[in-house]
Formats: sequence, C-alpha cells, structure tokens
Amino acid sequence: MSEEEDLELLALQRQLDDAFQTTRPRPAFEDELWLRMQARRPIMTRLREGVAGLVGGIWEAPALPSGAIAIALIVLLGAGIFTLGRLHPGGAGSATSGLSNQDGAGKNFGPNVSPEYGPLPVPAFGTAPGPPQALDRQAVFQGPVTLTWTGHLDVSAASLPVFRYQEPAQSDADRFAASLGARPSTEAVQGGLGLYAGKDFTLVVIGTVAQPAREPSFNLSELKSISSPSADPLALATAYLSARHLMPTWPYQTEVQTTAGTVRVRFLRSFDVPSQGQVALVDGAGNRYGIEVDIATGGRGAFETGPLPMSLASAGYPIITPDQAVRSALASSAPPNGSPSYPAVRLTTAEIVYTLVWAGDHSFYEPAFLFSGTFTYQGTAYVKRVLVPAVDPSLLTH
Amino acid sequence: MLADRPPFEDLYRDYLGRIYAYVRAQVSSSADAEDITAQVFMNAYQAYGRFEARNTSPVAWLFRIARNATTDHFRAHGRRERLRRTIEHQPLAFDDPSRMAEERLQYRALLDHVARLPERQRDSIALRHSGLTFEEVGVLMSCTEDAAKMLYHRGLKALRYSVHKEGE
Repeated sequence: MSEEEDLELLALQRQLDDAFQTTRPRPAFEDELWLRMQARRPIMTRLREGVAGLVGGIWEAPALPSGAIAIALIVLLGAGIFTLGRLHPGGAGSATSGLSNQDGAGKNFGPNVSPEYGPLPVPAFGTAPGPPQALDRQAVFQGPVTLTWTGHLDVSAASLPVFRYQEPAQSDADRFAASLGARPSTEAVQGGLGLYAGKDFTLVVIGTVAQPAREPSFNLSELKSISSPSADPLALATAYLSARHLMPTWPYQTEVQTTAGTVRVRFLRSFDVPSQGQVALVDGAGNRYGIEVDIATGGRGAFETGPLPMSLASAGYPIITPDQAVRSALASSAPPNGSPSYPAVRLTTAEIVYTLVWAGDHSFYEPAFLFSGTFTYQGTAYVKRVLVPAVDPSLLTH
Repeated sequence: MLADRPPFEDLYRDYLGRIYAYVRAQVSSSADAEDITAQVFMNAYQAYGRFEARNTSPVAWLFRIARNATTDHFRAHGRRERLRRTIEHQPLAFDDPSRMAEERLQYRALLDHVARLPERQRDSIALRHSGLTFEEVGVLMSCTEDAAKMLYHRGLKALRYSVHKEGE
C-alpha cells in the first residue's frame, strides 16, 4: 500500500468517527420514545414500582404521626403514578449529579461575581464526543456503583469564571481557512461551516455540536510527507503545528500515544483561571481533549483535529462549596437498598474542570467538579468518574 | 438487579444515540432510522428481564437486536430501494431541510457511501465505528476477530474507492 493510500485510509477513519459520533436523532425523539416505552409497560408493574418507590421514600423520611403517614401515602401514591407517566432517565444529563436550588442559598459570592449571562444551561454529562477507538482511553465504568468519598477537596474560591463564545459563521471559517492558505472548495460539506483546499492539505471546519457537546473544530488532512530533524513525535507534531501557525494559544499539557502505524500527539487544553491556576477542559465523560495530531508512521502525512480558535468572553459566577459538591457526587451512588453486589468505589480525587455546554448561537465553558476513583471489578481495572456542575444551582436553568 | 447488568435506563441513555447512528448509516431516511431504533429499544425493554450478562455484554446484546431489526427492515421494505440505489448509483434522498437541521447531520454523504457497501462490509464498518471492538464485531457477525478486521479493512478500501469515484 502506498504512503498516500495509508494516509487516505487514516483520514477516512477519522471522518467515519466524526460521522458516527455526530449523527444523532432529533432532540425530542429520546423523550418521545421513552414515554412510548413507559406507556407499554403493564399497569400493575408501574403501580408496583410506584408503591415500592413510595415505601423507600417513607423509610428515609422523618417520623410522622400515623394519620399524617396515611394522608401522605394517598397524596404520594397519586404523585408516584403521575410521575411514572413522565418518568425519564433524563438523557445524557441524568448522569449529572444535582443539587437543589436551596443548597446554594445564603452563600457569600465574593466581590468578582457578575453573572451577566443570566441562568446557564445545565451541562449534559455522561457522553464523550471523542472517537470510540481513542488510544489508551481508560476503561470507564458506566454501571451502578456505591460511592464513598475519602479524598480531600479544598477549593476556597466562592466564584469562578464562565467563558462564552459566539457561534462562528461561515465567514469566520473562511477567514480561518484563509489564514492557513486554504480556499473554499466547490464541494459542500454536510452540516459543516466549510470545506477548503490548500497546497497539499484539505480542511473541514465544523460548528458547535450540541450533544455530545463539541466546540467549533477543524479537521486538517496533510497530504504530503512531513519531516523533522527529530524522531521525537512531540517535536515532530510541534514543528508541524508551528509551520501551520496552529500551535495552541491556550495553556496545554501534551500526551503521546503510539499504536501500530500511527502516533497520536495530544495537546490537552486548559484554562488559566485566577486563584486556580490551569484548569483542564474535559468532555462529558471526564476525558481531557484539545488538539490531536495523528502522524502516520515515518511522518508519511498527518491528520489534525482541534478546536477552532475563538475569542472568549468571561463572567464570574458563584459556585457551590466543596461539601455541597461531595454530597452531590455521592447522590449519584446506587440506592443503599439495592443489590449488595454493586461495586463499591472510593472516590479519592477531585478537581475543578471546565466542560462545554451548547446553548445555540453562543455556548459556554462552565466549571465543574470532577471526582474520580479507581477500582477492580471481575479482574478488570476501571475508573469511575462523577461530574458535578460547579455553578450555583440557582443560576442554572432546569 | 445484577451488578453487571446496569439499569435499562442507563443503557437507554448511553446507547440511544449510538444505536440510532448505527441504523442511520444503513437506511435512507431519519424517519426509518427512528422507527427501527424505536423497535430496537421496545424489544430490548421487554426482553431485558431475561438478559443474562454472563453470555454477552449489554452493549453487544443491544447491537445484536439493532442488527436484526435492520435486517428485518430491509427484508420488509428496503430490498428494492437498495437495489435501485446500487444500480443507479444515486445518492440517497435527503430528508426535508428541517429534519436535517434538527439532526445536525455531519458527513451525511460519507454515511450514504457506507450504506451502499456490500452488507457485511457495511456492517463491520458501522459496528466498529459505533464503538465495538473487533472481537465484539466478530461475535455479532459470527466470524473470528481476524475475519472481522479483514472485512472492515476491505470495507474501508471499498469506501475510499466509492468516495473517489463519485468525486471524479
């Protein structure tokens, strides 16, 4: 197989990754189908589950006079049945641990808070937009677990910046392409802002993807061999990006992953945040991301993908306390009355991160708490992650 | 509930999009993809109580149902359409613009090329890029892991040829 064929197949695989990751049903479909499924369940099953949920709730409730329990039973039974009709796992957002609005009440927000963007959309956690065969991705456990917290979370900040960008238009994509020396192609790209061709490379620019959330990005396929005096992949990728004027303008950490035929160099994005230092950007599953450069073996071309350079505005928002974050993380634990065979996971680390939240003609990078713990289950090592929105719930739209 | 059998709500939330994408890569309209995806989850929901995790993973089980449902769809409706599309070598008819906007379909044309591949090549590509390992693809397609890899790479080359040919 020729070098060019190798490269084309590599590029095609990345395009397929993107195609499968971004093809999703219309937003209302998930709710509609879930309701249809619920409606088909036998009425006695729904009733039985409603009563079981009610009894579980009563066990956790404070002691009440028996007369009050009888009244509560009737009222809640009705509420339980009504709720069943509307029961929904909550889409990707149900992986989000939440706090009630009351949890943030009375908080001292500090002097730099100016939540000028108004209520923010709630992040949708639990899904990752990255390619399914991302190299060396840790095995993330998605099933139910019982959680405990044994770490130490020390965040003294009472507010953090929320970053916002305006959705780019085709003219923005054209300008970006022109800065790389590429011109618009005559072919249209479905769902994208533009397809461009330059000397020895092609470029695709895509707008924000709503879910799994992904900021405006570019995919660049280098059609010629790239070379460097150094055999070090990081040096090769850095030289390549510098030559294209595509080195990140934001803080980053690097990571090199190697498999047969490909070396992937990742420039993992962070945000400079006053009082916090560099704070990592993660996707909805807690994976870090940024610019990725795939280099075919021997430098026989490259494929690069990363966020479109954009200017960000910021505004300070009050955040929940570490104690509230821990409580919220543990709230996503499996019910204590559940099967004793749920894996027990100790969350041992937590950090502030940023996640992208789509919001139409503008989108946000919002702070979140990322809790992690590793454990072994049936001989396999897993990591369990829990993301908790950091912005005070009273400033999140529900 | 067994520990290795997550609540159905989790499966639904985590895999609805991926199953839809897998189906959508093979059928000609988002309406058909929704119908088949709905059938997949209806069937899965009813059968989940009998699912035994020691035989297969919930994900592989879900994709098996999706694969069967897609095959049933073609048996019932799609054979003639696929044949016509192959002979005429025409792109699939796009849905109405509002639905296109709702789906925010990216690389729709590429998936149309995937849909025109021979069945087993198409299946190996769609399963692999839906996140399954080659071992899982092999189990679903009743072949070895190596055979699944071979099918996939043949499919990839056929796809590249198809894309090039249309660009000429």
